[in-house]
Amino acid sequence: MPRWSMVIDLDKCVACQGCSIACRMENNTPIVSPSEAALGRSMLWNDVFPLRAEEEGAIASAKARFLTRPCMHCEDPPCVKVCPVGATYQDDEGLVRQNYTRCIGCRFCTVACPYGVRYFNWYEPAWEDGLDQHLNPDRVEGRGVLEGPAVRPKGVVEKCTFCIHRLHKARARAEAEGRDFRPDEYVPACVQTCTGKARFFGDLDDANSTVSLLAQSRRAFRLLNEAGTHPKVIYLHEG
Amino acid sequence: MKARSVHPDNKHEAIILTPLQDITTIDRWLWALLLGLIGLGGYAYVRQLTLGMGVTGMNRPVYWGVYITNFVFFIGLAHSGTFISAILRLAGAEWRKPLTRAAEAITLFSLPFGVASIVVDMGRPERLLNVISHGRFQSPLLWDFTAVSLYLCSSVVFFYLSLLPDIALCRDRLTDVPAWQHRMYEILALGWQGRPEQFHRLERVLDGMAIFLAMLVVTVHTVVSWVFGMTIQPGWHTALIGPFFLLGAIFSGTAAVVIALAILRRVYHLEESLPLGLFNSLRKLLIVFTLGWLYMMVSEFLTIFYGNIPEEMEVFWQKFTGDFTWLFWAMTILVFVVPLLIFIFRGKDSIGWMVTASVLINVGMWLERFVVIVPTETRPRLLYELVQGTYRPTWVEAVITVSMFAGMFLLYAVFTRFFPIVPVWETAEEPGAEVPPVTRRRRRFGVRR
Amino acid sequence: MTTPLTRRQFLKLTAVAGGSAAAMGGLQAVLNATPAGAEEGLLAPSGEEHIVPSVCLLCPSGCGVLVRVADGRAVKLEGNPMHPINTGSLCPKGQAAPELLYNPDRLTGPLRRVGERGSGEWEPITWDEAVQIVAQKLNDLRAAGHPERAACLYGETRGQMRPFIERFMQAVGSPNAISHDSLNIEAAKLATYYTQGVYDLPAYDLENSNYVLSFGANLLEAGRTPQRMVSGYSYMRRGRAERGKVVVIDPRQGVTGAKADEWIPIVPGTDAALALGLANVIIRSGLADSDFVHNYSFGFEDFKDGEGKSHKGFKEFVLQNYPPSRVEQITGVPATTISRLAGEFAGNPPAVAILPGKGGLLNGSINGLYTAMAVHMLNALVGSIETPGGVLAQRYFPCADWPQLPPDPVAERGRTAERLDGAGARFPLARHAYQAVADHISEGYPYPVEMLFLYDANPVYEVPGGTRFVEAFQKAPFIVSCASFMDETAQYADLVLPEPTFLERWQDDAIEGLGYPGVGLRQPVVEPLYDTLNTGDFLLRVAQAMGDPVAGAFPWSNFEELLKDRLKTIGAEWETLKELGVWMIPGYRFARRGSEKWVAEVVGRDRMSSPRDGRFDFFSRELNCALGELGADELKALGLSQAGDAVFLPHHEPVTYAGNAEYPFTLNVITLMSLGPYSAAANMPTLQEISGMTVGERWDSWLEMNPEAAHELELRNKDGVWVESPYGKLKTKVRLVKSLHPDVVNLPHNQGHTAVGRWARNRGVNGLEILNPASEPATGLASFTNTRVKVYKA
Ligand SMILES: Nc1nc2c(c(=O)[nH]1)N[C@H]1C(S)=C(S)[C@@H](COP(=O)(O)OP(=O)(O)OC[C@H]3O[C@@H](n4cnc5c(=O)[nH]c(N)nc54)[C@H](O)[C@@H]3O)O[C@H]1N2
Ligand SMILES: Nc1nc2c(c(=O)[nH]1)N[C@H]1C(S)=C(S)[C@@H](COP(=O)(O)OP(=O)(O)OC[C@H]3O[C@@H](n4cnc5c(=O)[nH]c(N)nc54)[C@H](O)[C@@H]3O)O[C@H]1N2
Ligand code: SF4
Ligand code: SF4
Ligand code: SF4
Ligand code: SF4
Ligand code: SF4
Ligand SMILES: [Mo]
Repeated sequence: MPRWSMVIDLDKCVACQGCSIACRMENNTPIVSPSEAALGRSMLWNDVFPLRAEEEGAIASAKARFLTRPCMHCEDPPCVKVCPVGATYQDDEGLVRQNYTRCIGCRFCTVACPYGVRYFNWYEPAWEDGLDQHLNPDRVEGRGVLEGPAVRPKGVVEKCTFCIHRLHKARARAEAEGRDFRPDEYVPACVQTCTGKARFFGDLDDANSTVSLLAQSRRAFRLLNEAGTHPKVIYLHEG
Repeated sequence: MKARSVHPDNKHEAIILTPLQDITTIDRWLWALLLGLIGLGGYAYVRQLTLGMGVTGMNRPVYWGVYITNFVFFIGLAHSGTFISAILRLAGAEWRKPLTRAAEAITLFSLPFGVASIVVDMGRPERLLNVISHGRFQSPLLWDFTAVSLYLCSSVVFFYLSLLPDIALCRDRLTDVPAWQHRMYEILALGWQGRPEQFHRLERVLDGMAIFLAMLVVTVHTVVSWVFGMTIQPGWHTALIGPFFLLGAIFSGTAAVVIALAILRRVYHLEESLPLGLFNSLRKLLIVFTLGWLYMMVSEFLTIFYGNIPEEMEVFWQKFTGDFTWLFWAMTILVFVVPLLIFIFRGKDSIGWMVTASVLINVGMWLERFVVIVPTETRPRLLYELVQGTYRPTWVEAVITVSMFAGMFLLYAVFTRFFPIVPVWETAEEPGAEVPPVTRRRRRFGVRR
Repeated sequence: MTTPLTRRQFLKLTAVAGGSAAAMGGLQAVLNATPAGAEEGLLAPSGEEHIVPSVCLLCPSGCGVLVRVADGRAVKLEGNPMHPINTGSLCPKGQAAPELLYNPDRLTGPLRRVGERGSGEWEPITWDEAVQIVAQKLNDLRAAGHPERAACLYGETRGQMRPFIERFMQAVGSPNAISHDSLNIEAAKLATYYTQGVYDLPAYDLENSNYVLSFGANLLEAGRTPQRMVSGYSYMRRGRAERGKVVVIDPRQGVTGAKADEWIPIVPGTDAALALGLANVIIRSGLADSDFVHNYSFGFEDFKDGEGKSHKGFKEFVLQNYPPSRVEQITGVPATTISRLAGEFAGNPPAVAILPGKGGLLNGSINGLYTAMAVHMLNALVGSIETPGGVLAQRYFPCADWPQLPPDPVAERGRTAERLDGAGARFPLARHAYQAVADHISEGYPYPVEMLFLYDANPVYEVPGGTRFVEAFQKAPFIVSCASFMDETAQYADLVLPEPTFLERWQDDAIEGLGYPGVGLRQPVVEPLYDTLNTGDFLLRVAQAMGDPVAGAFPWSNFEELLKDRLKTIGAEWETLKELGVWMIPGYRFARRGSEKWVAEVVGRDRMSSPRDGRFDFFSRELNCALGELGADELKALGLSQAGDAVFLPHHEPVTYAGNAEYPFTLNVITLMSLGPYSAAANMPTLQEISGMTVGERWDSWLEMNPEAAHELELRNKDGVWVESPYGKLKTKVRLVKSLHPDVVNLPHNQGHTAVGRWARNRGVNGLEILNPASEPATGLASFTNTRVKVYKA
């Protein structure tokens, strides 16, 4: 059973936000109006943002730092623990999934996730005048319910799925071709587009996979490791 | 055929029953006004339902705002009744008797709004039943759901049982009220006859339930706090949050009782049934609570300050000098500084001052809830300088909040016009039947004075 | 069982226990609404799906894309892994491209103006009518003997489209095919020409560099070909065994500086001094590549010309004039840093100094040209010309020759007329002076304009003081705009002829930035959504309608056929190219110093006056040919403070700023990764939403300022401010950015539109409105970085 994981090399990442937008186009996250955006209601499952600058130092030593952040697919996910209805849950492969048809919109998970990667549909998502023509038609019906890029209804929470529909498609393809599915047949949209080639994806249980090898790097670290969430997104330090 | 029964003698009976016989124009205007406010709230809620939660000021990362504050506050208010009638009953504080019902009514009428606040806060309220069909007991919200529903049910039963003899009294004494009203008494009285063994059994049940309720009081509000405490967010993730919430709940609940009593006393001329001494007893309690509150505040913030964990300090400074400075210090002044001064220097034998202090306490406690909940959200753990949260409630949230309080007042006001708000049977001089003296009863349940 | 429970198992257990304890189990069974045991599965979309390769056109990088088309809708773009520019990656603009295709504000069919100019009243016409109108006007001009009075202004024009437009104008009889290069890459192109003899942007072999010095080339956010730069960069950093070092010289840090090993804040407009300071140390320490400077360069040492006159060489000139101590005073970069950087640069071969697309080169004085020359010479100095890890001359596929233009006396006479933009005349060094056209039309210089043709160009918005174009248009009787959106300029046109977006049309795209030749192909990935026509097809139809001799110059029935014909020599079948979306010859790369190839392709390739002897000019012979005859006064009039040999050697010319001491800040209009300079991107809502990531702004403009400078002005973060230059003022909000030179303020480009569409309109401010509108007198370049401003609270 693969344990899906993503490695992001911050030394190669150029903070271009390609991943953010690849995710939007792949997963149909809606555009929000300027006033909504000002309230922080933008829906970019993978946000890119500057970290705090150091307060001290001459200008030449002041260095901006940037972080790109999908859902960590924590091994011990606080969001799953708090959900009263199991609308967010962890599957056998360690993916933390989100069931839009069951979510009651209590937003407990959003306040419990220490990474701020969960997004709430404040309004019915809408695309103006034909802009919806580019929506990805893929849907996933996990446990008989809506998941993945299918357009979400208002009032529910959503987040990065590690592009689970791509996994399903890859599996279906392998099945149709009558062969075993290999973990490297599937990469999420953000990994595929990454301009800096900074993102890697694969199976952490395979000791020879790129992600496993990179996870051994001395530069490897996990975000808010002290929170005890055991993220499966692993970062590599700059420099 | 009209059932007739034995009633203990109470010399205030007539006065206590007066409000039930005559609904004034002022009442009708008041009810109309409250109904109007509720209607506005309904309008706001329909808007929220049809357009989406976006009509509130909530955002990312401030996912919880006024509604959740209201939830905690209403549940807190609800602690007044149970505290006064159950805990003081167990403690054998006889002075509580005249005010038990007034207090329990607060419990009864605020709890539903606590529950409603949660529903109002939900993005998909129509899926409420998922909580039952797919409930996961790992989630503190489920604990809440269970505890609060249990609390609501038991409070209703408890309240109803202790009301039973008085309903029967109304049935028997109030013969000139409109027919439907009388019919109501008849039905609700369940054929109560006031036989001694009935009183006897009633007392036993009430005593038994009191123990259960006392446990629930502690549980419910602790569990409410755990919705926050079980996350690892800075400012919430502390073991003290349970006791802190509990104390705050009892504190604001008790203060609410003071307000309710003062109004009832004045409006329904219950000066004799609700003597000044009651207020002095409550005053003592409130002094203890406000000091206890300070104690918890200091232990909490001092621990955080010395721990100096960066994320915790972010939230800490948000309260002390940041965006929430005004609210934080207003809260401290409202729940601690001013009330304590009043209680010490003015409160004795002055209902006016007591009410002032209690109102301040309740406003302050609402702020306290807000200041516990929101600042933490504005400074999440994974903090990035440029995406710091702010929160400004919208008119929708304000109107819905007001309408909820209006609803609570309305229920209370209507109730007092149809049922005696001072328990006639419990405050009777001589029990009409042989009721075992308190001390003896207590021993039977293993409770010592 | 002895294994201890993990915490998760424990929680699961308690969950079960708790559930039953509360007797919820029964309820659960009753109320369970989900069908039991529903299988996990995928609902495939109905309809067929396929992938079509194409090339992105949201910036000049030209990334290969693979478009997923489902049910006839373009739903997702991925990078084409075969395409060498982006090797499978796409930036956010490319990813958001479907928002361009399905943009509700696109033009849907040809329009003719009915109301007053600019009144916004139009009537739809047919393409046949449009062809007739344009052909008629052009024929009228030719009949009157003034075909030169038709002019075409074009923006980023890719592949065959550029020579095609030039050919069209020539066939009609006009020299006026005017590119907007003078707004951006012209400075770098001229510098490469005046040193290396190649009129083109150099390509950089970042993958193999050990040391990169970027002079305001915003490599990771813009830098002309962002994807090419980023992929080279990421390989250099972590793709190979040894990590190369990157040093960014820029008054602002930006993402590029933040990601680099070192950021050197420099006083704007002083890069030439810094580059020459570095050269000074390199030469002094004997670190220069002596084989290169002695055998393959011209003018390194002092020399005597053919007439026996002795001239100063680069070496002496630099040693005398640019000791680090002096350079420190000019640039604000400490002398010790200069010495260290010089040592590192020369001591870590292969090293490369990178020119920006525009960066700080458009500073309104000839300094921009000298700066680019000085930077480029650093590469020559350490022998990095045409070496792995160094600078490469960009090679192109040899296309089939254009057929001879038919004999046409009217056109031949028209073609020899002076150019409308003054290139080669008013501006002796210029090849294009786009922004100057406004004043020239108003002046009637050198002749009145009868017909103005705009292709993918929005001068009213994109040029400093663009409103001068609006005034100039009053003197242009007939204006045609080929644009996909009703942009600021199209609003004033008489005919608006919508071109389909890049996802709906045929166009080739030469691969630039890698050195070796390659070509990408755009093809309609979906049926055109609206009644639009590829401008290439439109012009072909116009030519046909004009009849011979013009029609004779265009023996192709449509643009697709033209492309097939032109690309038949690349070595790939048309069908193969269509299937792959790209074709290239990656092996074909380096030429040995002094070899035949070197002379033909690398050094001196495009020289027009001085000998093609394979020598790299430290002393610019081409400049000498162009300016050598001028007297001191004439040189002065061209903005040169020096005379004599210094004119032909790169040197630091102090920039003259519009705005004196009253205006303490240099205004730096910056390019964003998210929006870039193309107007259409500002109307893509997703790009607006991520526009100001670095400061947490979106959908708006902001002014970046150093916190210390702001403190002195008592400005706090997010305060509303006025930014005032001698040319006007704008209101925006200030954002404090620590990593910024205290005397510089940044304003992002591509906001403040007044047209284009619902998302672009009335959002933030356009910095170009308050920039110095003058053109640089010698090179005809626009001035972007020589305007000073003051900032005060609004
Ligand atoms: N994402 C994206 N990338 C693009 C485009 C796009 O649309 N989007 N468009 C492309 C186009 S058309 C072009 S022309 C290129 C432009 O590419 P660049 O030339 O790289 O772009 P700019 O942002 O204009 O300038 C780069 C840097 O020059 C700095 N600078 C300003 N003055 C000075 C100075 O005096 N000295 C030094 N050393 N630095 C200075 C600025 O601070 C800025 O950081 O970008 C291309 N790349
Ligand atoms: N101060 C300052 N000024 C700048 C810059 C800066 O950084 N600072 N950047 C400069 C640079 S580098 C550049 S490249 C320019 C950019 O400026 P331009 O090259 O003028 O690019 P756009 O503004 O996009 O204008 C082109 C117009 O063509 C239309 N269009 C869009 N797509 C198509 C198409 O597919 N076909 C056709 N025919 N038309 C289309 C749109 O209506 C658009 O308005 O701006 C320059 N101006
Ligand atoms: S990052 Fe947040 S949303 Fe994702 S699994 Fe962890 S806790 Fe859940
Ligand atoms: S918002 Fe939805 S997913 Fe999140 S905790 Fe509530 S029900 Fe679960
Ligand atoms: S893995 Fe997929 S869903 Fe997650 S951020 Fe990347 S693109 Fe989005
Ligand atoms: S696409 Fe890659 S390089 Fe760009 S921001 Fe995302 S992770 Fe970084
Ligand atoms: S870099 Fe330019 S060409 Fe490449 S995807 Fe981005 S916008 Fe398109
Ligand atoms: Mo450009």
